[in-house]
Amino acid sequence: MTENVAAATAASAPSRSASYARAGGKGLTIGIVIAAAVTVVGIALWVMQLSGGLVQTGMRNLDSWGLYITGFMFFVGLSAGGLIISSVPKAFGVSGFGGISKVAVMTSIACTVAAIAFVVIDLGQPLRVWELFSSSNFSSPLMWDIIVLFVYLILSVVYLWAQIRADSGAVSTKALRVVSVMALVCAVMVHSVTAWVFSLQIAHEFWYTALLGPWFVVSALVCGTALVMIAAAALRAAGYLQLDEKYLVKMAKLLGVFICVDLYFFGCDLLTSGFPAGEGAAVVDMLVSGPLSTFFWAQIVLSVVTAVVCFVPGLRTTPLLIVASACAIVAIFLKRVQILVGGFQLPNLDLAGPLTSLTITNWNGTMASAYSGMVYFPTSIEFGIALGVIGLGFLIFLLGLKLLPLKPAE
Amino acid sequence: MRMGMVIDLHRCVGCHTCSVACKVANNVPKETWWNRVLTDGGEAIDTLGGEYPNASIKFFPVSCQHCENPACVKVCPVGATYKDPATGIVRQDYDKCIGCRMCMAACPYTGVRSFNWEEPQNYLDHNLGDADAPEHQKHVVEKCTFCYQRQARGEEPACMELCMARARFWGDLDDPESDVFKLVHSRESITLLPEKGTKPSVYYLV
Repeated sequence: MTENVAAATAASAPSRSASYARAGGKGLTIGIVIAAAVTVVGIALWVMQLSGGLVQTGMRNLDSWGLYITGFMFFVGLSAGGLIISSVPKAFGVSGFGGISKVAVMTSIACTVAAIAFVVIDLGQPLRVWELFSSSNFSSPLMWDIIVLFVYLILSVVYLWAQIRADSGAVSTKALRVVSVMALVCAVMVHSVTAWVFSLQIAHEFWYTALLGPWFVVSALVCGTALVMIAAAALRAAGYLQLDEKYLVKMAKLLGVFICVDLYFFGCDLLTSGFPAGEGAAVVDMLVSGPLSTFFWAQIVLSVVTAVVCFVPGLRTTPLLIVASACAIVAIFLKRVQILVGGFQLPNLDLAGPLTSLTITNWNGTMASAYSGMVYFPTSIEFGIALGVIGLGFLIFLLGLKLLPLKPAE
Repeated sequence: MRMGMVIDLHRCVGCHTCSVACKVANNVPKETWWNRVLTDGGEAIDTLGGEYPNASIKFFPVSCQHCENPACVKVCPVGATYKDPATGIVRQDYDKCIGCRMCMAACPYTGVRSFNWEEPQNYLDHNLGDADAPEHQKHVVEKCTFCYQRQARGEEPACMELCMARARFWGDLDDPESDVFKLVHSRESITLLPEKGTKPSVYYLV
């Protein structure tokens, strides 16, 4: 994701002074073209997946969700930061983070659209989505999630519109404050409900924990704040907006706190799982020394690096803060992978049965050998389609930069 | 009424005939099994666990447990998987399923639900089994239906009929006169994963 922004930055550098005047320069246009191309390739691959079948993915009956639902969890989380960074100061009437409020909400909108797209590409029968409206089952957490995601998307758009109108005095500060409170409540709900899609499932030892809701909110704050920091620094470097370094440092301090709370929650969860040395011990083993240990330890190391950079004053230089933000985003992605794959990694009935090419990803052996490594790994078409969705997110964000007045009001 | 099944593990010899009977009657696509006989023994199917002279093997025929409190029904966003109010059988509406696989994630009984990851393939160039078994569809979830089409005609599920050891019993678990009621109340029985609180309608005599 930083690549496109970097490309835009490099290309627009010579005309930096000129691009202050216009909304983005040549670099932005190139970025939009690249993002659109990646999106189109993704759509083509998606059509291929639908016609040839989901058998082309790495998903099978015993590991029936994969990269797409991981991406869904991840992008719902990423969408949080922008909205929260933007709405908390307005909702509570405290000083904000400089002029990045509207850009921050734009990242939220782009990430929410990407999150919805990740659910759509995972569906076997996307042409039947009307069933969601014609025969809704309101006891399903997935139904709650779909409702709250759409409300969230609409509220984000309304909130952005209200801010733009407020700049020209058409929307009162009071009205803006009401919208920002609503947006903030909805942001917390969207992460909790996404967690509930997993944490209400008694079928999976790793998922079934009341902590998952609050934990998703914190993870969302971590990667969302990090995303806003990267976007703000990149746009400053490209000359799109001016941002005092103190605001970046302010966000970095928050990021440090968020990532520590995230680690604390992980610690609480592992202790609760492992201490009775019952079934939960298998979860701890799987993460600490089992098939997912690479993801687990990489997440811990990256989180610690983020916290150190954010808390040591001497290290809070712009390049290091960018590195710390990137580390935080990758760490949260690694956690999403652990949650998704980890849920399927521990079968409730692990007795030997007939294994076919549709039973499990690594089916050429016994149940034990299928579970000895990671039970699921994506295929190239999954990476391609996921990349297409990320391209779509960029396309929306960059089009927003180009077409909407997102620069801070003078 | 709560239609259910009782399986006598002392009688099951692990011949897999019920699995095949299920596949044929319901024209279950290639590479998919609704009804599997799991081996409690070695690592591979039909192998012994332990070493001679202390080797052992047991068989667990497992398909959808048609729970009284089904985890799958609650989570389906469109109600494609639902509990038939008349019989208590958990059914699946292929025409409604959007293929989100939420039910597969919610079901604690590993592997009883299957997804048609590709266009369903027949073994022969025509369908097998019951003419009124619903046509299989690509990209939807399916599972054991307790042979709903057969039970609507007053017949037993296909797995019952061909069980050569007569290990399976079928009937209304609420009816004190039924075989299944008498067996569950006279012999020691277990259900799978009782700690999950799903209250299966399949009992195993142990």
